[in-house]
Amino acid sequence: MAIANEELRERILHATYDCIARWGVARTSVEDAASEAGVSRATMYRYFPGGREQLLHAVVEWEYGRFFQRLYDAVHDASTLEEVIERGLRYAHRAIAEHEVLQVVLKTEPELLGVTLSGESATTLELIAGFLTPYLEHHELRDGVVVAEAADYLARMVLSYMGAPGRWDLDDPVQVAELVRVELLAGIV
Amino acid sequence: MSMGGVTAAATEVVAPARASQRLRVIDAALSCIARAGTKKTTVDDVAREAEVSRATLYRAFPGGKDAIFAAVVETELARFFSTVAIAMGRAADLEEVLVNGICVSATYLSNHAAIAYLCDHEPDLVLQRLVFGQMDQTLELCSTFAQPFFARFLDPVAAARGAELAVRVIVSYLMSPSPSTNLQSEAEVQALVRAFILPGVEALASSSAVPVAPHV
Repeated sequence: MAIANEELRERILHATYDCIARWGVARTSVEDAASEAGVSRATMYRYFPGGREQLLHAVVEWEYGRFFQRLYDAVHDASTLEEVIERGLRYAHRAIAEHEVLQVVLKTEPELLGVTLSGESATTLELIAGFLTPYLEHHELRDGVVVAEAADYLARMVLSYMGAPGRWDLDDPVQVAELVRVELLAGIV
Repeated sequence: MSMGGVTAAATEVVAPARASQRLRVIDAALSCIARAGTKKTTVDDVAREAEVSRATLYRAFPGGKDAIFAAVVETELARFFSTVAIAMGRAADLEEVLVNGICVSATYLSNHAAIAYLCDHEPDLVLQRLVFGQMDQTLELCSTFAQPFFARFLDPVAAARGAELAVRVIVSYLMSPSPSTNLQSEAEVQALVRAFILPGVEALASSSAVPVAPHV
């Protein structure tokens, strides 16, 4: 029963995502998503009683989770701290640039993302820090470096660069290596 | 003053009066935003708060509410930057540039009544500037301002990157507070700077492989 519910919720989110990909956020209604998912309007409101707004925020969260799953798949076999951060930044930068739905939403409804993503940021930082911890534990560290503190700092900076490269060209492996091995890790390893 | 003729003095008085009227409206709008946010604040609210007539207000800001709010952002940004500039300008070394810049910025932003109201009631307005493309613009604006203070101790490219790193730290710790590092505590900021930030910035400066970064 619980599993079936979760599957149906997933189907609704997937369908809503497909609608947004096709028509954009503004032109996606609860009815569109319901017919795409093959469920009734009543079912939609049972899963998302807050209606369209709740549905849209849930879709952002859902795709955010999928993004980090893909990121994990892309980097989890890296063998060193340097390698995992470099590969992670390069993958994330490319994936965000090529994420058509994200780019459309950023142009048309940027306000949809800020609140949802910042709401996720504490959890995301813990997730990244937890993922980096074993890499730090297996690396020789500078005297006095506390693994938990280094993991938290690195998680913050990795998340920051993933979302906004600033002055760095994260498509260029030379710059990424410079950023990671020099700017981010000089105080740590 | 004593040398100025009557006509010169008269024209000199008019311009400052207009400027002060503008500032009066801007400060009134800021108080309104701190109390009620941007959506609920009307031009009449601002005029009442500033104790000027609607006509006077529109003479100062023909563009109305949007023009007033744009001027508020510009003025507040200038006030913020000048406060941070004073703190960074008195730094004796790179570590102090980082510590003063981060600590004073975080303290200023954390105690800004209008920003606090907007974070609680109109978070979209603040947060959308801190993700993806708009974050790149925020980074560029703030790090371009801070770069010259870093350039007293670093080459220009490393200075720009160091300034950008400091801005990232401020945004990250304000958005997701850390139990161990409160950016308003100078001692805690100094510990963070010494542990992670300063070594990175210094290493960038001495790294010969630094390619000149494309300006976004």
